[in-house]
Amino acid sequence: MATQLAVQTVTLQLNGRPHAVVAAPLTTLRTALREDLHLHATKAGCGQGGCGSCTVLLDDELVLSCLLPVVLAEGRRVTTLEGIGGPSRLHPLQEAFHDHFAAQCGYCTAGMIMAAKWLLDRNPNPTRAEIQAALAGNLCRCTGYVPIIEAVEDAARRMSKGAGR
Amino acid sequence: MSTTAFFVPRTVDEAIELKREHGKNLVVMGGGTIVMGLVHDGQLFPKLAMSLARAGMSDVRRRDGQFEIGAATPVARLTELKGAATLDRAAGMLGGPALRTLATAGGNLFAKAPYGDLCVPLLAMDAEVEIAGTEGRRTAPLEQFLSRRALKNDELVVSIRVPKPRGRGAYLKLGRRQANTPSVVAVAVQVVLDGTGKCTDVRIALGAAAPQAVRAKKAEAALTGRRLDAASISAAAQAAQAECNPATDSLASAWYRREMVGVFVRRALDEVGRTI
Repeated sequence: MATQLAVQTVTLQLNGRPHAVVAAPLTTLRTALREDLHLHATKAGCGQGGCGSCTVLLDDELVLSCLLPVVLAEGRRVTTLEGIGGPSRLHPLQEAFHDHFAAQCGYCTAGMIMAAKWLLDRNPNPTRAEIQAALAGNLCRCTGYVPIIEAVEDAARRMSKGAGR
Repeated sequence: MSTTAFFVPRTVDEAIELKREHGKNLVVMGGGTIVMGLVHDGQLFPKLAMSLARAGMSDVRRRDGQFEIGAATPVARLTELKGAATLDRAAGMLGGPALRTLATAGGNLFAKAPYGDLCVPLLAMDAEVEIAGTEGRRTAPLEQFLSRRALKNDELVVSIRVPKPRGRGAYLKLGRRQANTPSVVAVAVQVVLDGTGKCTDVRIALGAAAPQAVRAKKAEAALTGRRLDAASISAAAQAAQAECNPATDSLASAWYRREMVGVFVRRALDEVGRTI
């Protein structure tokens, strides 16, 4: 049994490399990412599972990092926005979000892109309805969603043309 | 944070032993989507907490059309479950994909209105709850379990048993958005007709229409022995409206919920009627 008493070291396979964090019981994956590992793309939003701004990938599944005690991610692959691309080498989704003005304040963007990546990994050529369903857990209060959905459609096209990685 | 221990048992027996040892001091979570939200909201300060996510009860077993759904089965898995009437539909309308990865079937039984939508189709299918403790296992009808959610100090919900669905079903949910929303109301119906088109067995269940999901028994009685037609469906919708006990919250007023119970019971029965 994995019992966590007081603080414990948790090892994650984070964005392709092993990382250790020291966490108190019930410390969430979100807190570990932002406050211990200083990866700030993943956002702290509602803390209730309602907004999706903390969305990351755990192995190949989409999870809300604000609701997941980090102990439960021990030994598993965690992928955040920083892990799929950065300023020097953007992921096609990041390029498409930029080109379509799909980010305004940017608070939802990391979660949106992670949900979109999860969708495109399983379904490289989604319909508009499938994109809407995949992003249903991610709230955006700026864009009205249309540019976000268009960016995901465009990223799918770019990736299927072999421009993606 | 003042939580001094977080237990992640690997078997049901370990989980029961921890529950026996710590009793009411132990806050139990399935996927954590309810408990962690309450913790963040400052409504819950668990001294001790336990997750059932790794306790080996995340399987769905199917035998002769019946289902045994492990309490820690992710809601995401239920969205793909064929042959369990409208349960897949209700699961797919619960939260968003990332929430459904974490949220569990058993945890949803503890969600208070306007959450807990899985209970609505489960009530319409006469599901039972399997409870395990140090003395052994027992089952309780879901309806009875939901009325008090009474567990002894050493007991845990370990599975949900769903009988083979009978007749035709429908599930409808009204929220304030098209997706990722708690319910204004949720309605599941399951109707069995005889050879002459009369309803012999009717189950109507309502979500967000009382503190927990409930059967609308007067509405069921209004249909039983009658044909599914405009008059009988109207009578059932009116009965459901009269017998429900919804709350006012930030999503909807009690008055509006009661109106929508009538509308959505009617629509669900119309949908069943159209498939005959």
